[in-house]
Amino acid sequence: MATALAALLPKPLHNPVVSDDEDEVVQQPAQTSQTVITRPTRPPYGQRRGWKPTTPEDFGDGGSYPECHVAQYPIEMGRKKGSSGNTIALQVDSEGNVRYDAIAHQGQRPDKIIQSQFKDLVPLHYRKDLDDSQRIMDRPSEESVQATADKTRAALEKLVNGKIKAAQPKNVPDSQGKTSFIRYTPGQQNGEGLKQRIIKMSEVVEDPLEPPRFKHKKIPRGPPSPPPPVLRSPPRKATAAEQKEWMIPPCISNWKNNKGFTIPLDKRLAADGRGLQDIHINDNFAKFSEALFVADRHAREEVRQRALMQQKLAQKEKESKEENLRMLAQRAREERGGIAPKPTAASQAAMKSTLADYGSDSGSGSESEGSEEDEDARRIRDEMRAEKRRERERELRMNNMGAEQRAKQLARQQNRDISEKVALGLAKPTLSKESMLDSRLFNQESLSGNFADEDSYNLYDRPLFHGSTAAAAIYKARGNITEGNEESFGGGTDEGIGKALGNDRFGLGQVRVGFEGASEQEIREGPVQFEKDTGDVFGLNQFLDEAKTGKKRGLDTGASGARKRQQLEKASELE
Amino acid sequence: MATTALPPLESLFKTSAKRTRAIFASAPDDGFKEDEKSARMRLSVKVNDEYRDYKELPASLLSQQGPVGPSRPKTNAKMITAGPSADTNTARIIATIDKTPTPQPSTFSSSTKLSQALTLHKTTRTIKPTYHAPWKLVRVISGHLGWVRSVAVEPGNKWFATGAGDRVIKIWDLASGELKLSLTGHISTVRGLAVSPRHPYLFSCGEDKMVKCWDLEANKVIRHYHGHLSGVYSLALHPTLDVLVTAGRDASARVWDMRSKAQVHILSGHTGTVADVKCQDSEPQVITGSMDSTVRLWDLAAGKTSVTLTHHKKSVRALAIHPTEYSFASGSAGGNNIKKWKCPEGAFVFNFSGHNAIINTLSVNAEGVFFSGADNGSLTFWDYDTGTPFQNMEDVPQPGSLEAEAGVFCSTFDQTGTRLITGGADKTIKVYAEQTQ
Repeated sequence: MATALAALLPKPLHNPVVSDDEDEVVQQPAQTSQTVITRPTRPPYGQRRGWKPTTPEDFGDGGSYPECHVAQYPIEMGRKKGSSGNTIALQVDSEGNVRYDAIAHQGQRPDKIIQSQFKDLVPLHYRKDLDDSQRIMDRPSEESVQATADKTRAALEKLVNGKIKAAQPKNVPDSQGKTSFIRYTPGQQNGEGLKQRIIKMSEVVEDPLEPPRFKHKKIPRGPPSPPPPVLRSPPRKATAAEQKEWMIPPCISNWKNNKGFTIPLDKRLAADGRGLQDIHINDNFAKFSEALFVADRHAREEVRQRALMQQKLAQKEKESKEENLRMLAQRAREERGGIAPKPTAASQAAMKSTLADYGSDSGSGSESEGSEEDEDARRIRDEMRAEKRRERERELRMNNMGAEQRAKQLARQQNRDISEKVALGLAKPTLSKESMLDSRLFNQESLSGNFADEDSYNLYDRPLFHGSTAAAAIYKARGNITEGNEESFGGGTDEGIGKALGNDRFGLGQVRVGFEGASEQEIREGPVQFEKDTGDVFGLNQFLDEAKTGKKRGLDTGASGARKRQQLEKASELE
Repeated sequence: MATTALPPLESLFKTSAKRTRAIFASAPDDGFKEDEKSARMRLSVKVNDEYRDYKELPASLLSQQGPVGPSRPKTNAKMITAGPSADTNTARIIATIDKTPTPQPSTFSSSTKLSQALTLHKTTRTIKPTYHAPWKLVRVISGHLGWVRSVAVEPGNKWFATGAGDRVIKIWDLASGELKLSLTGHISTVRGLAVSPRHPYLFSCGEDKMVKCWDLEANKVIRHYHGHLSGVYSLALHPTLDVLVTAGRDASARVWDMRSKAQVHILSGHTGTVADVKCQDSEPQVITGSMDSTVRLWDLAAGKTSVTLTHHKKSVRALAIHPTEYSFASGSAGGNNIKKWKCPEGAFVFNFSGHNAIINTLSVNAEGVFFSGADNGSLTFWDYDTGTPFQNMEDVPQPGSLEAEAGVFCSTFDQTGTRLITGGADKTIKVYAEQTQ
């Protein structure tokens, strides 16, 4: 009946039965009814030509068939295991669809959810395999939350307790508590027969601080769980544009080439394009600086002219004043000399003319010899008068001078005696610092504040020998002379040395033109000593000082100088 | 002669119309409305006259249109639909007149499974998003000296804490935005913060591999959870158990017992840095998002992965669990980068599409406002239920910062859900609030 029904019905497309072997699936429908009494038939001995024993049933309970020349594995002996290990059996679901995701579920825990199908990519609302109750996203109830929490807490507490116990020191074993008594009956083997003994069992006291007796061996970790199926498309290939965007140019070294050799300096300089680019400077810079220069020159010129003019005016004024003074002085002299005061310029002119007349008169020689001695006396008187006048003038000038200027004036006079200088207060005995201070405090080298700056080369703050005498003493060769080594230094005398120097050994003749200026140089007596040029060679310090004061350049120099001079003169006038 | 004497017609018409109006003005209004019959007649005439040739597309165009599938839905479609249009009456009339069947694309007319799916697709699209008020920036707090990488709001909603690249955790008053406290102790960027609702503790983790527990009564570190092999990037507290989950650059998430400092589980399985971890009270109790572009849901009791979600194409940097709905969202870089998942089994719900950037942070509040902040400073507010964006903003970096410093690293809603606090690459903390009329 079943076969009739099977004949009536169309053949099923897929067989729902999970099957191991394709062949069996094909074979089974043929022998549907007889499956119950399946019995492998073994041909009897002698009729086994062409028969292949394949199934375990063919071999019964062991033993192979030597007359059959095929590979035989009675009771699976000798068959290699795992030959069909990692192939998974084809699985079909209840609707007859092949479960292609069986491989994804292989080896995973059964409770694990593996998303491996197309439906897992479909948004929830569009899925047809779910009903609305499965789409509701409501939070679980309080009870279920509590249940989850309790379950998890229990699991975690177990783990934590284990961990904590491992970390804590072992609980100290009590020595007497764990004792137990055991009645022991030995076996029948020994001939003495049964002799019961009571045995006291107590645990060996363990030292809690004892190092572990056995080596702790790490067990390698088991294989990780198989990777989940990937439900995304593979990453897109980067387009040419994207690749270009991400292109990072390789580093090109300026020092090493690709092979690692050093690039020569000239090539390096040529490569960096330093000389290739010509620098453009705006013409206006030049124009600007030119204009500045011109303006500066103009300003300077103007200032100079103004200063000159002022100077001239001042001079003229001064001259007129001097003239006035002279006049006054003359008048005073005349008054003192008993001569009636000269009235005016007109009378003076008149007197001049009379004097001229007088002179012309004297030239006539009409005077007697008696006037000769008069002449002499008068000359002497005149001389005396002139001398007196000069002295007075000098005194006057000296009075008008300030103390400072007077001192300068005096200093200019070279032939002063030192005692005079001291009296004038020009020469003071130098106050040496050392003498003022307690030398015991300063017996060590006193370093000046600016001693040995990093950038200066003065290794010593002062010369070793102060006086020139010491230097001369060193410089002069003295020992050799007495030792008879006179020839080496030309006898040690000036003439001798000069002669030795002037000795034209090679007959070259006298030097006609020596080094320029060498002849004017004074003869050295000591070693060459350089002294620091503290003078302001380039006028830099002055410039900086000016800059510090913040005055305008060009205007003040000439004008202020002139003004200062004027003020000085005024001061002198007042005195 | 008589015809010439007649007055002009226009004035007569006018007066007549006026009179009619004056007479019938008191009458009920529908007397003036043209009745449906006449309107239909007029329309049918018009339709027949003017639109007869255009009722159907030309055959060539129709055939072209056929094989084309449904177009991608416009994400920036109208957010708020107005009331029913005034012209519905006319439309109805036209529909009754016009018996021409609406032209169906050929894919729809066939009855394959794909077409059915597509029709289904079309019908289920009609969920209306709920209205959310727009959000606006209300406060910028500049106090950190480094990128602000983590933020957490206290359960009492009085203050919030931020952790930054200057290795300092700062605690700010939520209402006034004043600095209340600075906690120092980390020696590298503070990447994760959490305030426990059940203890007076603040937990912090940083790139210095340290996980610290601060006692907020003494403002001191009282515990260290030692064990991470590299920087710790994220931290989450379990809402019901005294358990702390941290995750970091060593591709693992570690579950710590809060009190005993023992490491309960090491949740390993990710092959890349675990960028974010979140906890909830029901299964899955731990969710991690990783730089290997997978999201894993964990069985906390067993310490094993229960689901692995491999839908994302780029690294998953942000996760957000909805407070009331049993679902969560994950964000990565690129297009279709924010995905919503249904919770116990991790079924894919839908994509939040439209924020095409590297998503650094996600936040969601109970009202269903979902926020995503990106590395380039773009911010998007979404309706969580439908995945519709309702507001796009740009983060404005504080003056003096580079253009590239407009990035958002962390965000959180406060406990009420009315404020959004974000921390950014411009070293500021920004507070956004819902705009109320």
